[in-house]
Amino acid sequence: MAGFLSTLRRIYLSLYNWTVFVGWFQVLYFAVKALREGGPTTVYGFVERPLQLAQTAAVMEILHGLVVISFAVGLVRSPVSATLPQIGSRLFLTWGILWSFPETRAHILVSSLVISWSITEIIRYSFFGMKEAFGFAPSWLLWLRYSTFLILYPTGITSEVGLLYVALPYIKASEKYCIRMPNKWNFSFDYFSASILALAIYIPGSPHMYQYMLGQRRKALSKSKTA
Amino acid sequence: MKVTVVSRSGREVIKGGIELHDEATVSDLQEAIHARTKKYYPSRQRLTLPMQAGIQGKPIVLSPKKKLVDYCDGNVKNLTVVFKDLGVQVLYRTLFFWEYLGPLVIYPIFYYFPVYKYFGYEGERVVYPVQTYAMYYWCLHYSKRIMETFFVHRFSHATSPLSNVFRNCAYYWTFGAYIAYYVNHPMYTPVNDLQMKIGFGFGLICQVSNFYCHILLRNLRNPNGNGGYQIPHGFLFNIVTCANYTTEIYQWLGFNIATQTIAGYVFLVVAALIMTNWALAKHRRLKKLFDGKEGRPRYPRRWVILPPFI
Repeated sequence: MAGFLSTLRRIYLSLYNWTVFVGWFQVLYFAVKALREGGPTTVYGFVERPLQLAQTAAVMEILHGLVVISFAVGLVRSPVSATLPQIGSRLFLTWGILWSFPETRAHILVSSLVISWSITEIIRYSFFGMKEAFGFAPSWLLWLRYSTFLILYPTGITSEVGLLYVALPYIKASEKYCIRMPNKWNFSFDYFSASILALAIYIPGSPHMYQYMLGQRRKALSKSKTA
Repeated sequence: MKVTVVSRSGREVIKGGIELHDEATVSDLQEAIHARTKKYYPSRQRLTLPMQAGIQGKPIVLSPKKKLVDYCDGNVKNLTVVFKDLGVQVLYRTLFFWEYLGPLVIYPIFYYFPVYKYFGYEGERVVYPVQTYAMYYWCLHYSKRIMETFFVHRFSHATSPLSNVFRNCAYYWTFGAYIAYYVNHPMYTPVNDLQMKIGFGFGLICQVSNFYCHILLRNLRNPNGNGGYQIPHGFLFNIVTCANYTTEIYQWLGFNIATQTIAGYVFLVVAALIMTNWALAKHRRLKKLFDGKEGRPRYPRRWVILPPFI
């Protein structure tokens, strides 16, 4: 029974990782196509669908990290504290900023955002896809997986923070997602304030994520040397 | 006997070790370590037996009251202990005092002072009776907690790491402000009179029950006992292991029924989750300890924390 479950897990994770890999490959492909054909302001239009699909699929990864069935531990080893902020910020940008406020879509930072994300994810998903499907990943892929973040995290985070900042005046002007008082549940939500809070979280959050990846890099690359 | 004190990486923490008489207790060892190192007062020391290579499981922690010989397996002249620095410690009383003081002070600020003009709401506020009662209820609750901290609770570990002060205060003070903001808001919408009475009435009954639970727990704790563990009994403890958490959760439910804010309910859910985690651990610990073997009683079938759910 245990053997069957572990095979099932492997098949599921292989399918998951390779499917999402294809999604992000499309994003990069269409982004480059847009840049060559229409220029940076057209990138969003070309990538919107595959971006939304691939990024939203990542919500599954939170489930993978948690206790899914009462007798099984999480399917993967990544701690929730590392996956949750990453997926949170990604979904916030994809749906909460770019999709909700079209005025931001033509900004140059959309290109850098989409390129940073897609390259990172292509490497990441193919790496995990290889490990699940074939039991190993080639050493150059391992190296890419644990090295490209050194550049792509800063470029990606800068793009995220930048776009968030650019969106702020549009968020303030519109009443989108805001809940005002009075109401029977005595609740209010101000999207502008929430966005400022999100921006503030990047201050401790970015070094935390970067440190986490540096730690992972040290562990992964030293292990491959001794192996 | 000679005690060698090493760090987890194998380095000697006390050069040359410590000489103690054969009947010495762990507490004596801790005092000796403190005498040799000014920084590491006893409550900061975590002493364990060295882990055997290859053997899994948690290391055995030395209990201050026991004798050192109890931990020697055969060789009563030499003992090696592993030392870990737990960091700066504060008394649990200190921790609880600061975390409870915040809500006690912050909430009335939103009630009494014109803070809402800084949020953009000018003009006079109309204060509903429920808002006044809520403030009294809230302050009663946190005053009670502070009073219990100094006069009722008996703590098994006297101290907690300093970092917990910041973490716990952030939790209590932020939620205190978050709830106070909404209940005292100039645009607050009260519930009907009957619902308010039911909420506060139920809440008060639960607060009194909670106090009684704390008295019972205090009397359970035998200061010279075996780590202090006994099967809780009496009042609601006969049917639920952590009746004190049960009454605390239901008390907040009463408050929320009367005041009806999302903020209050969010706090209720988070607090309930935290307490449920604790309750599950305690229930498991008690069941493991009272397994019915070797003359020990068997832990009875009981709810963990929230009948009829868990």
